Amino acid sequence: MGLFSIFGSTSSNSEETKRASEIRTGAVAPSRAERQRCWAARDAYFACLDKAGIVDALKEDGAAAAAKACGQESAEFDKDCAAQWVTYFKKWRVQDIQKKARLRELEAQGANRMDVQTDFAPRRS
Amino acid sequence: MPPQTTTARTVINSLPRAVSRQSSRLVSTWRVAQPNSRPIAPPPYKSHSQSFQPLVQRRFKFSTVEEAKSRYRSGPFSWKAGLLFVLTGCGLVWYFRSEKERMQRKRIAESAKGVGRPKVGGPFELVDQEGNKVTEQDLKGRYSLVYFGFTHCPDICPEELDKMARMFDLVEEQRPGWLTPVFVTCDPARDPPKVLKEYLAEFHPSFLGLTGTYDQIKAMCKAYRVYFSTPTEVKPGQDYLVDHSIYFYLMDPDGDFVEALGRQHSPDQGAKVILDHMKDWRGQLRTK
Repeated sequence: MGLFSIFGSTSSNSEETKRASEIRTGAVAPSRAERQRCWAARDAYFACLDKAGIVDALKEDGAAAAAKACGQESAEFDKDCAAQWVTYFKKWRVQDIQKKARLRELEAQGANRMDVQTDFAPRRS
Repeated sequence: MPPQTTTARTVINSLPRAVSRQSSRLVSTWRVAQPNSRPIAPPPYKSHSQSFQPLVQRRFKFSTVEEAKSRYRSGPFSWKAGLLFVLTGCGLVWYFRSEKERMQRKRIAESAKGVGRPKVGGPFELVDQEGNKVTEQDLKGRYSLVYFGFTHCPDICPEELDKMARMFDLVEEQRPGWLTPVFVTCDPARDPPKVLKEYLAEFHPSFLGLTGTYDQIKAMCKAYRVYFSTPTEVKPGQDYLVDHSIYFYLMDPDGDFVEALGRQHSPDQGAKVILDHMKDWRGQLRTK
């Protein structure tokens, strides 16, 4: 797989790969552009999980199903984001889905909606 | 005696009396009209009839019966009276509403002042992204908007910092030099001045980034009642995330806490809250 061949790359993009691996290990903080790339990979991965109907990609059965259904997206996600971020976002996804389900349940019971935003959409108003 | 005869008798008896009274009035008016006649006391009913007539005419000056009828129908209300009523009502509603809002802001702003109140903020000693020492005295004289975060933050801090940049620009448009945007790192081990400088430059050139030793940051977070979970002992190369409170703390030029802005505020709403507080400020100011 070309995606994992970062350690044996040529000298021309060795700076780039060094930086990418530093981001993955958490040695440096990502810049704005690197953050955007990570978020895009995350959104693509989550979209794939949504399509496959997988909520928790960390649990054993979920992880196996996710690797099967979204192998490509998962590899991109791992490549563009820090390992800590990947785990964080996967945990966040489970909580967010649970939160939304709970909110829907409460709304069905007649609860009043409050102005709280839980997704990553930019809040420009 | 049957009642019918009684009434007939009273009518007959009263008749000559009424006639004589009328004639006597005629006589008396004629006498008053004469200039050199002796003054006589006018009979009581005469003065009554004379003063009552003009009073009625003054109160209801109507040229036609139709006018009087329409006045009677509409009562004392006219379109002018209605307009005055509505305008006064609107004015009073507006005044009380704006006054109520002002008092609410004042209450929020002053709830942190005075003796025996829980205090957010206080003295600190940190370094900025250029490596210069910064204390709470450097922030006094201007409002400051303080946010706590860390450069390795996955999602919320970068979003909130973009929001802070937008809020700062909106405030700066209206009141240039009134606000200092401050970013304090909760992760001093990985955020030395150089890292902060690179990180904050991507958000806004005016941001003041503060860092220090672990103990200095811990004291700062304690002073601002900020919860954070940075591990004290980290092995080299170990990555971690920091859990922390995500509020903007608005501090007034005295260094007193005014209000906390949260995720629910949009940049425009946040800027409005800040500008409204600035409008109420009567104290000293040191704008650059």
